[in-house]
Amino acid sequence: MAIIVDKDIPTIVQGITGANASLHTRFMLQYGTKIVGGVTPGKSGQNVEGIPVYDTVQDCLAQHPEANVSSVWAPPRFAKDAILEAIEAGIKSIIVITERIPVHDMLYARHVAKSKGVMIIGGNTPGIISPGKALVGMLPKIAFQPGRIGTVARSGAVTYYIANSLNLADLGESTSVGLGGDPILGTNFEEILNLFDKDSETDAVVMAGEIGGVYEELAAPFISTMSKPVVAYITGKAAPQGKRLGHAGAIIEGSMGTAASKIDALEKNGAIIAETLSQIPALVKKALGGAR
Amino acid sequence: MRLYEYEAKGLFRRHMLPVPNSVVVDENSLCELYKVIYPVVIKAQTFAGGRGKAGLVQFATQRGEAEEKIAGMLGKKHAGHTVDKVLVEAKVSVERELYLAVVVDRLEHRPMIIASQRGGMDIEEIARKEPDAILKYYLNPGADLHAFMARNIASGLGLSGVLLASGAHIINKLYDIFRGYDCKVAEINPLVICGGGTVYALDAKVDLDEDAMFRHPQLRELGIVARHEVGELTEREKIAKQAGIPYVDLDGDIGVFPGGAGFGIAAIDLIQHYGGRPANFMDSGGAPTQEKLRAMLSLLLDNPRVKAIFGARFGGISRCDDWAKAVVKYVVENRPQKPMIMRMAGNMEEQGRKILEQAKAENPELFSKIKVYAYDTPIEHVIEETIRAAQTQD
Repeated sequence: MAIIVDKDIPTIVQGITGANASLHTRFMLQYGTKIVGGVTPGKSGQNVEGIPVYDTVQDCLAQHPEANVSSVWAPPRFAKDAILEAIEAGIKSIIVITERIPVHDMLYARHVAKSKGVMIIGGNTPGIISPGKALVGMLPKIAFQPGRIGTVARSGAVTYYIANSLNLADLGESTSVGLGGDPILGTNFEEILNLFDKDSETDAVVMAGEIGGVYEELAAPFISTMSKPVVAYITGKAAPQGKRLGHAGAIIEGSMGTAASKIDALEKNGAIIAETLSQIPALVKKALGGAR
Repeated sequence: MRLYEYEAKGLFRRHMLPVPNSVVVDENSLCELYKVIYPVVIKAQTFAGGRGKAGLVQFATQRGEAEEKIAGMLGKKHAGHTVDKVLVEAKVSVERELYLAVVVDRLEHRPMIIASQRGGMDIEEIARKEPDAILKYYLNPGADLHAFMARNIASGLGLSGVLLASGAHIINKLYDIFRGYDCKVAEINPLVICGGGTVYALDAKVDLDEDAMFRHPQLRELGIVARHEVGELTEREKIAKQAGIPYVDLDGDIGVFPGGAGFGIAAIDLIQHYGGRPANFMDSGGAPTQEKLRAMLSLLLDNPRVKAIFGARFGGISRCDDWAKAVVKYVVENRPQKPMIMRMAGNMEEQGRKILEQAKAENPELFSKIKVYAYDTPIEHVIEETIRAAQTQD
């Protein structure tokens, strides 16, 4: 059983009629993800790639009561509403692809989700993949292959390059989770590390963070309690002070959120630090030693 | 998005938060000074702190002195910013200085009200020197701040009698502004108590969420529009901003065309790690249009410092075929001479590969310095080859 998404987990797509969502619905179906329905208000009766479209999540779940994962592709101004709609209808894992969701909206959606035991991944996540089983989001399938390494990263492309590096060294991924690049995230490193630590199909974890915010520092103490090795790759060492790199909230302000402070906190708690992408597989193999 | 002090105070005034009478003056509007009553405090409008030490907060007792001091401030550089406006404000006699702020607490994921009786200092300084002097109140996201909560906080600030009510009013209004305008930070430091029980927000710091600006068209009425706030932009950064491309100039010679922001940050690290020098940071992800992709390429290739381009597309939401089309069209139209070492994998890769191969077959000479590797070449190999290409261009 992979974490969060798996082969037979019924999934819905919110905002399915949008250009990106419909293209990636096709890719998800091709990958074997069990998509049962889509939602776009005002578009019921249509279908996308053979998947029926409903006006509301409630209508969709009336027809497909087994669905419990959703991916949200709605534009940023409607994202909070889409997330709350999914929570209200009983969806248990919500993967939010939408980027640049207003901070106050995400704080509220996150708060409601936590109080109801719902997991939100993202916003601005590329999604989650359990290679060979299911893909929810827009991760390119070529980047991944089945294996026993869990990966969790803030950035989409860094997620792909890490898996790519692992694969070129004949390793593979149990599940790869994109936490998302928005400043407020539904789920943080610690929660995903915990899932991987308990996952019988995962032997080691690669986590990748970047400058800005304190999510990496917050997760560091948990690493010391884990039974599995964690290789950490932190980017932004060469980033100039006080310049915003992209809109992702990646900005160094004072000593908070620097690559050095993150690396220091992670290393102190037993994480193995990788300097480059290509070092990652070697460090993973070394950490696993004779275990594999 | 940080607001200037005068903009934040305009917002405060609009929402009945008391601020001293003032005018904003630039070099063309000195005539406005007739509106103020002396003595005044003159404050340069910049985002960076440390104005006092830099001589950018000064006092004047009459107009001639004010004009002289204003002239001394306008055009001065402060932390990369050129001062072009000053706030001229009635000087008030201060009895006590308090601290009050509402912020998004990113650790707790909740709004937090911060209050302290040690106003006037930087909050980080208070936290370091006297952590017990800081009161923190958390609210759930979206929750109302009830009047009694505001009174509790006012009381915690040591306010009583008539000041308890004015303090609670200010706390309530500041929270309304925080929620109503999607603030990340709304801070009054110092909040001052004057003789006779009057209370003023003497300084104002407001940081708005750029991603929520779409629902605050009323800010435009106050003259508050999106702007650049960190240092001054270089010419290329200005062009990039105009085109909507996240771009930062660095001082190296390798143009970086990386894909999304996350890998953009990683690419700069990796180039440095292997002994190269990146010329820029760029975010070229998020499914940019053809026009935008070509604008990105010309931004990089028009930079005289750039000797080689490192390019990468790992197509997720962005498509490799779109990327390849843009690269081909740019190269055919602009015939760049600099080597471009790139790698393409992911969404629509096969289609992208065909576009590149066809272009190369039609125009082998033009594409002789352009390499586009695939999935099986480690990205670090591409980076190292770009660094070598830049070195041999010397």
